[in-house]
Amino acid sequence: MVEPLLRVSDVSKSYDELQVLKDVSFDLLERDVKVIFGPSGSGKSTLLRCINMLNPPDKGKIFLRGNNITAPKVDLNTIRTRIGMVFQHFNLFAHLKAIDNVSIGLRRVKGLKKQEAYEKAFKALDRVKLTEWADHYPAQLSGGQQQRVGIARALAMEPDLILFDEPTSALDPELIGEVLQVMLDLAKAGTTMLVVTHEMGFARAVASELLFIDKGIIIERGTPEHFSVSPTSDRVKQFLQQLDVLYGSHEKLLDILDEEEKI
Amino acid sequence: MIFQANPFEQLLAVLAYWDRFLTGFLLTMWMYVWALFLGFLLGLLLALSRQYGHFFIQKIAIIYIEIIRGTPLIAQLFFISFLPNALNFSIDIMIIETNLFNRSFRLLDYPIFVGILTLILNSGAYQAEYLRGSFVSVGTGQLEAARAIGMSRFSSIRHIVLPQALRRVIPSWSNEAAYLPKYTVLVYFIGGVEELFSQADYIQHRTSFPFATYIIVAILFLITITLISKLLDTIHKRTSIPGL
Ligand SMILES: Nc1ncnc2c1ncn2[C@@H]1O[C@H](COP(=O)(O)OP(=O)(O)OP(=O)(O)O)[C@@H](O)[C@H]1O
Ligand SMILES: [Mg+2]
Repeated sequence: MVEPLLRVSDVSKSYDELQVLKDVSFDLLERDVKVIFGPSGSGKSTLLRCINMLNPPDKGKIFLRGNNITAPKVDLNTIRTRIGMVFQHFNLFAHLKAIDNVSIGLRRVKGLKKQEAYEKAFKALDRVKLTEWADHYPAQLSGGQQQRVGIARALAMEPDLILFDEPTSALDPELIGEVLQVMLDLAKAGTTMLVVTHEMGFARAVASELLFIDKGIIIERGTPEHFSVSPTSDRVKQFLQQLDVLYGSHEKLLDILDEEEKI
Repeated sequence: MIFQANPFEQLLAVLAYWDRFLTGFLLTMWMYVWALFLGFLLGLLLALSRQYGHFFIQKIAIIYIEIIRGTPLIAQLFFISFLPNALNFSIDIMIIETNLFNRSFRLLDYPIFVGILTLILNSGAYQAEYLRGSFVSVGTGQLEAARAIGMSRFSSIRHIVLPQALRRVIPSWSNEAAYLPKYTVLVYFIGGVEELFSQADYIQHRTSFPFATYIIVAILFLITITLISKLLDTIHKRTSIPGL
């Protein structure tokens, strides 16, 4: 049996009285892409934050390449260099140019020399097609560009996997496509990704499995086909209908992008 | 008085003591600069403790800040100056003296030390609150992003929060920079410090023109504080982040 890159095992998390995650378990293989979706407040962000130990779980274990990262005395800073994270609101460092946003981790965490860090950062910016914007500050970039810098920042650290927390939900509709395209490219290049998103088009294109989470519990999981053809629980059916009303039009975005690629 | 001097003559009479105005003013500014900059370091330490410190450190910082902000500066000045006496110990403060306009000019002695120390302790608490406000305004998102690429807590604060917070604090910090010269004059009440107000007191007694004397004092402050505000404004503009 192949050892999963990431194993989440019976993870639970509460804030005071409120139990946000209940015995969540799943595996993620190397080069695999999985999508998590579910209603607001269901615990999606909390789950991602447990995985990179920004909010350690109360119960359960998380293994990265077989190592239990929830064990005491694990060096979390080192673990976090191996787990990239892309945020809903980008969270770029406002006082740093794009290139410095991307290279600061290489310099301050990995200890690379400025020159070497810049070269790597430049390659990461190239993967998100932003090399021309390297010298711009976040406030001088569009939302879509900012998010791509956020993705480059995660990529530059050469992590084992990247967590995405609703990377397109804070973007204007016309900017979503460019970010999804970058994510599709990464997926196709074999990046291991765990993506919280409601972009079903993206999920259909690259996800091996979708996890539907509600009130902290994974209540249904399956392939994209499973969810589009025969979801079992009523909660999922109802939620997918709502998504269709809200996001239905975005599906066409990816079709348009596909066609552009052919030309 | 035998004759009634007109305002212009009064000013001229008072300005004959320009050397005293100047040395008094310089001593006030000397104390001010120490208070502002060491107060800034204290404020930074307090703000970091209050915002990012462990429970006890946070509490200590909060208590300190509240005591300072909740009591009058004049009471703090008296408290510090009488403290050694009340506790039966004495502090030897080196005397540093130089010559200015053919008069001896004291840069440091016991009362000056008390004045500067109290102003540092006082201003530090206010500066801490301004700084903390700017830490908060940077937000937690960037700190989280820094942690998420593996930066340590210290490194995240040092490289992500501080550079932004120090820029953001300038407008509110200029308040403190502009208030502090005016608080520095309270050192007058310790007695024995030849700062601007004690010099002014001397001059108005000698000339019996208090109005003209204090007009000069007011003008000196007005010019100084205007320059300080302008300078900080320029620094704020120069250091602003493009696009923001
Ligand atoms: N630091 C916190 N302290 C207390 N409660 C929290 C905290 N963070 C999240 N919660 C609560 O936990 C629940 C799950 O939050 P979470 O952010 O994980 O949901 P989500 O699925 O990501 O929602 P959304 O789609 O709105 O982003 C919510 O009820 C939220 O209010
Ligand atoms: Mg969320």
